[in-house]
Amino acid sequence: MSTPDVKSVLAFPYPVPEVGAEDYWQAANDERLVMQKCDACAKLRFTPAPICTHCGDDQFTWAELSGKGKIITWTVITHPIHPAAVAKVPYVVVVVELDEQPGLRMVSNLIDAEVGEDGSAPTITFYAAVSVAFEPHPSGQKLPMFRLV
Amino acid sequence: MQSIANKACIVGVGHTEYSKDSGRSELKLATEAIGTAIADAGLSPVDIDGITKYTMDNNDPIDIARNLGIPRLRFFGEVAYGGGGGPCGTILMAAMAVATGQAKAVVAFRAMNERSGRGTARFGQAPTDESVTGVKSYMSPYGLFSPAQMVALAARRHMHLYGTESKHFGEIAVACRHHANMNPDAMMYGRPMTIEDHQASRMIADPLHLLDCCLETDGGAAVVITTPDRARDLKHVPVHIASAGLGGGAWNHLHILKDVEAPHTESTVIADHLFGDAGITQADIDVLFVYDHFTPLVMMAIEDYGFCKRGEGKDFVGNGRLRWPDGELPLNTSGGNLSHGYMHGMQNNIEAVRQLRGTARCQVKDADFAFIAAGNAVPTSAMILRRDGA
Ligand SMILES: [Zn+2]
Repeated sequence: MSTPDVKSVLAFPYPVPEVGAEDYWQAANDERLVMQKCDACAKLRFTPAPICTHCGDDQFTWAELSGKGKIITWTVITHPIHPAAVAKVPYVVVVVELDEQPGLRMVSNLIDAEVGEDGSAPTITFYAAVSVAFEPHPSGQKLPMFRLV
Repeated sequence: MQSIANKACIVGVGHTEYSKDSGRSELKLATEAIGTAIADAGLSPVDIDGITKYTMDNNDPIDIARNLGIPRLRFFGEVAYGGGGGPCGTILMAAMAVATGQAKAVVAFRAMNERSGRGTARFGQAPTDESVTGVKSYMSPYGLFSPAQMVALAARRHMHLYGTESKHFGEIAVACRHHANMNPDAMMYGRPMTIEDHQASRMIADPLHLLDCCLETDGGAAVVITTPDRARDLKHVPVHIASAGLGGGAWNHLHILKDVEAPHTESTVIADHLFGDAGITQADIDVLFVYDHFTPLVMMAIEDYGFCKRGEGKDFVGNGRLRWPDGELPLNTSGGNLSHGYMHGMQNNIEAVRQLRGTARCQVKDADFAFIAAGNAVPTSAMILRRDGA
């Protein structure tokens, strides 16, 4: 008798690094938030990309970020559309702009915020300061998430 | 300047019923819709020598040709980005083929079992893959899966920047439902909706309510494109492609997470040349078709195509402006993706043709020009159609 695949039911999918993104995910496991910084124009870019999205140069250095940023927008998910979401709702998806560079934005979860079953989230506001925290996925990969400061 | 303006026309339209479960294959739906469109044009399959499709459509042009009895295909092509590139991009590609003489008559189509899942996975459900890579790996591990959830992020930003409220998005949904209730073919026919109903509908992804989101549909829809010269001998008065275009840009780096503040959008890329090529302005448009996957994106498209300024959408959509017969700019007059059927925008093309033939149910009086925008927040397509003689 086959056993159900518990992992696929109870967890959101885990990231498998694409070529060129291995260092980003490895750094997350080391609880560091890193992004590519262009050697030519010094701009940061995200998601990982083979050439600078600002100037086109292909030389870069992985730079560690402070992990501090502000909330640009968010949604409170109350309606589960994934098996793992059933136990997680309500949960908060945020877009965070990182302090290091205007427009440098990433998707993440806001954790430990006060959220009602109806999706109300009185403490979440535009431009609220947040700080990164690394939360393990059941696969073992740590994911950069954020908390209100 | 050289463009596709006025070098091709739509001469036939056809579609199946739109339902929750077609009970037949996607190939059957495609052949039914295309066969109906060919007959509507007064042609037979042997007259067709080209097929254009959405890249994500599961149907193979050769299968369609073999089953319909199209003996020779001299042109086939496909357009990417689903409901963005597909709805008007397939027609642009067909128009370019006939205008250059590469083909004589081309069909553009969309057919899918998106609601029943008989061939196409439902877009509103999350895949249950154990892992993801590439762009999805920066979203799915956080429980961000569906277009509705992504659009919610942009909608909230628009509300913050411009004072837009959920009830303003609701005006768009109510206008589409109003039209669907005059269209017995619409999936939501006989189910009236008020703003209060919209506000009371359950939250899908805050601030998106259920009634901000399009239907899921099984069905097929197709149009036939040829040159103005050939069109003269056919069954219907032709509807002219006054202009058409594709538009995309680097800001879609996460494919669908729309940056509301971006100075340029996929819509603004197209807008200038679309109106320039057609030789008209937004004020000349009599009937408006905007791909209505999610109401906030319809408002952003109305703004970015220049029907009003950015941030003014909340006022523009009010006062019944979008509702036939009294509104000055009726929107999606057969009910759109929201209330007619989610045929990935192709149903709007068909309704626009009917408006300019003068045979629509919610017929806009003296309609000369229809504007059709495909889905935004992804690389997109749009076109302006012109009544023969206008
Ligand atoms: Zn650079």
